[in-house]
Amino acid sequence: MDESALIVEAQHGNLQAFNSLVLAFQDVLFNTALRILNDEDQAADAVQEAFISAFHALNSFRGGSFRAWLLRTVTNACYDELRRKKRRPTTPLEPETVDGDEIESPGWLADPHASPEESLEQAELEHAVQHCLENLPADFRAVVILADIQGLDYSEVAIAVHKPLGTVKSRLARARSHLRECLQGFRELLPAAFRLEEQSNV
Amino acid sequence: MTTPSSRDLEILSAYLDGQLSQSNRTRLETRIHADPALATALEELRQTRALLRRTPHRRAPRNFTLTPGMAGIRPPVPRLVPVLSWASAVAMLFFLFTLGVSLVGQLSFGSAAPMRAAAPKASSEGPLVAATMAPLGAAPATAAPATMPPVVAAPAPLAAEATAAPATMAPLAAAAPATMIPATAALGAGSSNPPPADQTVLPTATPEISIMSVPQAAPPGIARVLPAPPVPKAQHRQVNLWLFIWPGLAVILGALAVLAWGLNRRSFQRKNPRGRPPPI
Repeated sequence: MDESALIVEAQHGNLQAFNSLVLAFQDVLFNTALRILNDEDQAADAVQEAFISAFHALNSFRGGSFRAWLLRTVTNACYDELRRKKRRPTTPLEPETVDGDEIESPGWLADPHASPEESLEQAELEHAVQHCLENLPADFRAVVILADIQGLDYSEVAIAVHKPLGTVKSRLARARSHLRECLQGFRELLPAAFRLEEQSNV
Repeated sequence: MTTPSSRDLEILSAYLDGQLSQSNRTRLETRIHADPALATALEELRQTRALLRRTPHRRAPRNFTLTPGMAGIRPPVPRLVPVLSWASAVAMLFFLFTLGVSLVGQLSFGSAAPMRAAAPKASSEGPLVAATMAPLGAAPATAAPATMPPVVAAPAPLAAEATAAPATMAPLAAAAPATMIPATAALGAGSSNPPPADQTVLPTATPEISIMSVPQAAPPGIARVLPAPPVPKAQHRQVNLWLFIWPGLAVILGALAVLAWGLNRRSFQRKNPRGRPPPI
């Protein structure tokens, strides 16, 4: 059954059809929530809340990109979570060494299928990107995550963040500019392949 | 070489994503060739975007499929629940009715209770000789036990006091006003022990209302023959039975209301396991 048929079935209250959609989009939603919140448990909670509210509001979906519509629900859930975090700041429990120092590239970030060098590179990259993302305002962060990490086009991002196209363009440009400056400090830590890889793509 | 403005960066970002029109694109490319700062900025933006796109994608740690409870799909509710939800209101009505009945019963029968206690025995013996005449002097006191010894109910405390009273008090008691007589009769209902013949019960000034009204002009010491109150046994039993049935019904209905509330609450929790979902 294709996506639109599943959506119609789910709109008629078919939970099984909706769960098929959940399985298809849960990774995208979880990655988005994880990049915005930088906390796996909170991201999982936000995704679960997003799917619950999406099921209840499914009849408000009027066509278009269902992925963007779902991403809007998870983005809102993440904003709510960020507001909660702002009201009640907490100290995350990062893994520590025996000396009590935080492990900056913990083992649970590694991809078990990658080689040690690749795992290290990916961990460094993820850490650098996540660090710079966290320094962005939440609105800019969501836009750049949706556009550059999740690969949504501008119109989908506009749906997901519920903002006009011009606002999306502006926020994306400013977010990229901030990230460019931030990532300058990590440039020596990142593999050279990342710097030149896209030069021929444009 | 000048630093690109924020407007230039916005155009470069849109150019990178292929979002510029053909004319704007041509114009920007001309500027990029002429201005190395723009070319450098474009290259850095491209590298930044490449880095972001290479960020590893993580798989969801678990499946986020919804259960019927999470989705708010309610299980079928027993058919009686909507009916039982009215049980609390009905129970309240029963309770108020019972309360009203008991209050009315107390008001109408409460002061006659002494007589009701005496009625079953007296009614079979015909006219009731007023019990209040017993303590009113020596002559009636001797006559009274003879006519209705088990009926006359002297109050135990008063009787105790009476035994302690000296014999010289008897004339005083005989001279007591008749308006005090019903009080002693009412107080005497609690005890079935007949007073000793030689006891003189001192009338007290307890202002108790009695349906047995003795005229003010009645001379003390004269026995009055009163007709037995028409309180049949069957009616007493019926009233007492209903006084037990109504609260019983109220308790049962209250229990059903609590049961209905519990069922509704459980189905609500199944519907919203984590509270109301946030709006989209």
